[in-house]
Amino acid sequence: MTLQNRNGDKEASPITLRLKEPTSIPIEADTVSPDHFIGRSLKDIAALPVYFGRRKRNLGDVFHIEGEESDQVIVEGDLAHVKKIGYGMTRGRIVIRGNVGQHTGACMRGGEIIVEGHVADRAGIHMEGGRLWIKGNAGHLLGAAYPGERRGVNRGVIIVEGNVGSETGAFMRRGLIVVMGDTGEFVGARMIAGSVFVFGHLGKRAGAGMKRGSIVAFGACEPLLPTYRFESVFQPVFIRVFVNRLRQWGLPVNIERTEGLFRRYSGDITALGKGEILIYDSNE
Amino acid sequence: MSAVFENVTCKFCGCLCDDIAVEVEDRRILKAKRACPNGLGMFLNYDPTLQSPLVEGKEVEWDEAVSAAADILSRADSPLIYGLSSTSSEAQRKAVELADRLGAIIDSTSSVCHFPTTLGFQMVGGAACTLGEVKARADLLIFWGCNPMEAHMRHFTRYSANAKGFLTPNGRRDRTVVVVDVRPTKTAKTADRFLQIEPGTDYEVLTSLRALIKGKDINEPVGGLPSEQIKELVQMMKTCRYGVAFFGMGLTMTAGRGYNVAEIFALGAELNQYTRFFAMPMRGHGNVAGADQVITWLSGYPAAVSFARGYPQFGPGEFTSVDVLARRETDAALIIASDPMAHFPRKAAEHLERIPAILMAPVTNCSSQVANVILPTACYGIDAPGTAYRMDNVPIRLRSVMQKVRPTDEEMLMRIMEAVKQ
Ligand code: SF4
Repeated sequence: MTLQNRNGDKEASPITLRLKEPTSIPIEADTVSPDHFIGRSLKDIAALPVYFGRRKRNLGDVFHIEGEESDQVIVEGDLAHVKKIGYGMTRGRIVIRGNVGQHTGACMRGGEIIVEGHVADRAGIHMEGGRLWIKGNAGHLLGAAYPGERRGVNRGVIIVEGNVGSETGAFMRRGLIVVMGDTGEFVGARMIAGSVFVFGHLGKRAGAGMKRGSIVAFGACEPLLPTYRFESVFQPVFIRVFVNRLRQWGLPVNIERTEGLFRRYSGDITALGKGEILIYDSNE
Repeated sequence: MSAVFENVTCKFCGCLCDDIAVEVEDRRILKAKRACPNGLGMFLNYDPTLQSPLVEGKEVEWDEAVSAAADILSRADSPLIYGLSSTSSEAQRKAVELADRLGAIIDSTSSVCHFPTTLGFQMVGGAACTLGEVKARADLLIFWGCNPMEAHMRHFTRYSANAKGFLTPNGRRDRTVVVVDVRPTKTAKTADRFLQIEPGTDYEVLTSLRALIKGKDINEPVGGLPSEQIKELVQMMKTCRYGVAFFGMGLTMTAGRGYNVAEIFALGAELNQYTRFFAMPMRGHGNVAGADQVITWLSGYPAAVSFARGYPQFGPGEFTSVDVLARRETDAALIIASDPMAHFPRKAAEHLERIPAILMAPVTNCSSQVANVILPTACYGIDAPGTAYRMDNVPIRLRSVMQKVRPTDEEMLMRIMEAVKQ
């Protein structure tokens, strides 16, 4: 496969990594990232460290590696127990063909990750830039924060075409998360600012302890917490701007809904109370 | 001839009652005065005679069992050390050392009880008190999602509802007891006020309480409770002299988990604007609080710690043993003083059955059936002395009431460590 860069030019063939043997032993592969691959020959890449359970191995022991020097990376195989792919990456692109393990794209600061399958928990946690695009479902703590941290995602875009687990966007400081499917509980819990768009079913306790920021429910939603107050019905302009961009990216967004009226609830009154949950009301 | 030992500590539950009078004759305990039925069972059922360790069901010498255990652990790519809640803190310390040396994942039984307490605590912090203070001062006791009448039977008499203390000379008459639960438990029957909430609405009720305390208004019913009842509870909390909210697995293991606990800790802290108020988890097993303490002081995190990369990594949901097992991410387990086969969900238990396991425990339990190596060790608090942490994190000495003939967990862990080194 050839990938195209932003300008549409053909590039050198990407670096492809294929997991040699399926295993359920956790593999920590934070070296699988364009940042580590750029400027390295295949031999050097194969010598990068990776943790197979508690054993330090070389990347080449665990993956078949081929391709030319490139910032485009493809990872293949049964990756459900491979963690931290694209950890802290700043540029380039990783395409993951299949399901992938925890911490995918954690702390990433730039570039793009495309997951063609499902991701486990903590994808895009503490993200600071770039784009994480998940075609399948995501686990819990998508775009959330590590325990004990007060601030989570700070810039960047996460798109999930499937469903997500609970605590999506918890502690988010800035950035955008778009979920096309349904969500679990505590979406945007203790959020400080930023936006979460949910096109499927918004789960219980959305925006628990939220200070500022927006959660937008285009579909059905569970009753909100008692600490949210109904304020008004209106047609938010910013949603149209956001949605236009999403459509440019190729997301199948229902335009009718985005032009309709939304009910605005503000909260959470136990925190600062400047957050908002917008719920699609009608297409007036 | 029998001998009586006064002020022995019972390490069965997190109350760690240290006033038990134990009568011993011929290395068997005849009586354990003042112990509740739970504790009594532990004292009377323990047989301290030396037993041979088992490897694959066959009795072997200790050296052989130790090397078999070391072998299993050294061969594993991702070993798991689990349990720790009923052993001593000295042994817990060695277990962390072993985990560090091996690069193993270490986790305590809190991952099936009060782990969310840790997460909530990390989210908002918390104000803490000791049970001694509760006994001496507390005039409002709230029991939320816990049932001490059955799980911590002497909690009421020793520390809380019925205890007579410095400012509560009349015991029960000086205190108000409120129980919040989803069903009328035995504890609820003894309460002055019982608030029965709908299952899975703990978070909503707690957050409404917080909103009211912050001066906001809540006018709809929450969790099936009319708003007047919630407001009344807020009034009670604000006007009490010294309040404590005890919470149990009804709060930590139901929808909301860590966030439920964060709300109750925040509630306790915020009430200190009006009066003195605290929130305290009702820890189950005798020394599970100690496991949190010890793993924290050695690794920085209370449980679910992986040393796989040579430094500690904390992973709730990632290195918690139930999740590690359910995802098949471990290939050998060392179980210390606990019984995962009896408590784990099926998927996790199934994997535990598949992988080689070592069980280190004073008594046989459900997990004995799946363990490849069984090391029958001494029972701390009966034939071995040690330290345990009470549910309020106060360390209490566990005394021994007889000469031990079995090795302790600590000694066993040290021997396994030596064998692993070679
Ligand atoms: S309350 Fe707990 S510590 Fe006290 S005697 Fe009963 S089981 Fe033992």
